Amino acid sequence: MATLLKNHRRYHFDDDLEKALNRVDFFRIFHTMSLRFGFDHFAILQLGNEGDACMLSNRLALHDLPSGLAEEYDKRHRFGDSAAYKSLHTSIIPSIWKADDPQLGHSSNLVDQLGFEMLICVPVTGLNGARYAVLFLGDCEEIDQQAHFELCYEAVCAFDYFYRLVLSNKAGLGLTPREREILRWISHGKTASEIALIVSVSEHTVNSHTATILKKLDVVNRTQMVAKAIREQIIQ
Amino acid sequence: MTEPIHILLVDDDPAENLIMRGLMKRVSSAEIRLHYCETIDAALDFIKSGKPVSMVLMDNRLQPQADFRETVPAMRQQGFIGPIGVISSSLADPYFQKFEEYGADFRIDKAELDPTAIEFILGEYLTRK
Repeated sequence: MATLLKNHRRYHFDDDLEKALNRVDFFRIFHTMSLRFGFDHFAILQLGNEGDACMLSNRLALHDLPSGLAEEYDKRHRFGDSAAYKSLHTSIIPSIWKADDPQLGHSSNLVDQLGFEMLICVPVTGLNGARYAVLFLGDCEEIDQQAHFELCYEAVCAFDYFYRLVLSNKAGLGLTPREREILRWISHGKTASEIALIVSVSEHTVNSHTATILKKLDVVNRTQMVAKAIREQIIQ
Repeated sequence: MTEPIHILLVDDDPAENLIMRGLMKRVSSAEIRLHYCETIDAALDFIKSGKPVSMVLMDNRLQPQADFRETVPAMRQQGFIGPIGVISSSLADPYFQKFEEYGADFRIDKAELDPTAIEFILGEYLTRK
């Protein structure tokens, strides 16, 4: 991505970030980051209004938590009651939480409820101000100041790339040649699996391009997509 | 119980088959059936045979000289439209930046493949709609 300046210091990790292209690449980056700092898992949470009813499982934008853990948590606990979640609405200073914290009751101790020893929350924002938090969970006992600073800085940088490449609303942006090609086949009435065969990619890739085109053209379905594309003379 | 997930591993090193088999056994969230082909020709025949394949994991370099820029398009030409992941221990090579253009869905380093990564990929490409 060419939009960043050298002034945006990314130190040794800019190489991986510059090369990241899709969700699997960002999974790799965050997963490796959590392991490198002695944690077991990461989770990127989308924050809403504090008062909104919220569940952990539907706030997760990307994570490597054990399968079913968030859903199981939601059956037993209220994410909105956890002290860690509430703290994300009182300050943007990164926070550390321990399972054996005597100040926290069981109903508000998110780390304990999830079955880990330590949690680090790094509040982050997308370029448009949308609020998220990067969480690191593990059974480590402590993290020293230097490592904590580094982890927070790396999380902010990696999230910035993740937001701009994957999460941001790309309305108004131009279509890539591959997206225009898929749009043209959609306008010919082809299904996703037919387009996958024609263009030699997976059906998943076709669906993912289609979702991006919907965002970029700011439309809600394939019919409106084609109508707008013709109106805007993207296709004939 | 959900349907088993059929993963086809294409790797010219049979030891990788054993390693991957061990890895897949540690994935608890899905029933995985791992199939193995040593060559791209065998993989193309496997696809042609009509046996179920939910996802292909392809070693980047296959003997004698092929890399994913040849093998993935060949799989696509055979009509496979499921996800294809390329496994390599040298993702830093510049040509890897174009993996999507060659029809691959994702790339992953051999060293990064652990049960957590497998579960994420399954969720991302096979169970998440």
